[in-house]
Amino acid sequence: MSKIFYDKIIILENIEKEINSRVQTEEEKDELWQIVDEIVHHKVFGCIMDNLPQKYHHEFIEKFKKAPHDESLFDYLKEKIGKNMEELIKLEIGDLAFEILQDIEGNKKK
Amino acid sequence: MGGKLPTQTYHQIDKDKADFEYLRNKLKIKQLETVERFKEKHPRVHKYLTEKSIDLGKIREHSAKIIGAGALTSTLLISPPSEVKIFPPPAELIEKLKVAGGTLPLQGLQKFVVDNIQNILPERTRPLTTGEEKYLEQVFHQATGINVKANLEGEHLNTTYGLIGAEQHLVRYPGDTLNQHGKGEAIKEGMAPGKGAWGYFANSRSSLTPSLENTEKWYGVVQTLYLPDWNTRQPYLRDWYKYRKILIVNTNNGNAVVAAIADSGPAAWTGKSFGGSPEVMEYLGGSKYKKGPVVVLFVDDPENKIPLGPVEYNKISLPDMAYLKT
Repeated sequence: MSKIFYDKIIILENIEKEINSRVQTEEEKDELWQIVDEIVHHKVFGCIMDNLPQKYHHEFIEKFKKAPHDESLFDYLKEKIGKNMEELIKLEIGDLAFEILQDIEGNKKK
Repeated sequence: MGGKLPTQTYHQIDKDKADFEYLRNKLKIKQLETVERFKEKHPRVHKYLTEKSIDLGKIREHSAKIIGAGALTSTLLISPPSEVKIFPPPAELIEKLKVAGGTLPLQGLQKFVVDNIQNILPERTRPLTTGEEKYLEQVFHQATGINVKANLEGEHLNTTYGLIGAEQHLVRYPGDTLNQHGKGEAIKEGMAPGKGAWGYFANSRSSLTPSLENTEKWYGVVQTLYLPDWNTRQPYLRDWYKYRKILIVNTNNGNAVVAAIADSGPAAWTGKSFGGSPEVMEYLGGSKYKKGPVVVLFVDDPENKIPLGPVEYNKISLPDMAYLKT
């Protein structure tokens, strides 16, 4: 199993559709999925670090390194931030989806 | 007919390639921008991640290693899923099923199964515990007559309880077209431009057997690409999963289908864990069904006797009981 604790709230179905409609091989699909995956991880981590007080940054990274799949990390973040981190990440990813789709729409209109 | 001549298709090849390259370049630029912005905004975090040998681009591999090394077991022991429900021993339910089978109308049996599995399934989809999986195996076996396993021959999916999404038809052979897959609702989802993870089903139209045709019609998608040992146990895993039969059960209504695994996906960032062909999705939830929770288990069918397609509770004899009373 390869799972990250925030997987369940990352919903980029339209981008998956776009990719799947433009690739010819499994290798091409894997490559593009991997690029999106890396974008997502940086966006989510950036969002967490923007909100998490600096004094907890290292502690969070240690916990994350130990169990990146553990959904109780959301409980930890909620406790330290005092906000619903799931909602903040959803908003961040919503913006990302919009940006990516706008970027790639250009070619479709041609 | 063997399809179009190369002179008639090379423009299309170039266009497809250009389309892919364009998309790849756009995503690459976005990736570089995002990584750079992260480094600029959080230099200390970036430095600490580097010191700890954490590469966010490869975090999924790291997760797979940790879970594959058995860390999941210990983590679950430390913090078990909070919403695990206490359920009666399978024997108790099976006894109820037998009674229900003898007294309830056939559709009532399906509802009885749904009610009981909903009692033990968590509210949100997640990987199930071994106990939960064993329970479901017995329930489905008793209710449908199909021998199902979460762990078959040592292989286990990433999860047995997750969301399924609608997929398109797969290209079965070179030159295959959508209108050869059916009419109306059956082709509404369209056909994926590329091949499935296991390539063409046949080399030509003439070599597409009815069995292969049926395999594409009733295909399922699982996330083989995220299996922790997918890259290290090749070609064994690739062969093992190719057209492997799975039972997909819509946990909301009990509709069940035996499908063959014929593609890999969906992407981890879609919130989904499985995919189903247009026919699979139609049967599970009707023509407007695009996404929903399902349980997916391997079908243990060494003699290849279980047909692909809908599992009708009233068509398969329940083991150890005759519930069809006339």
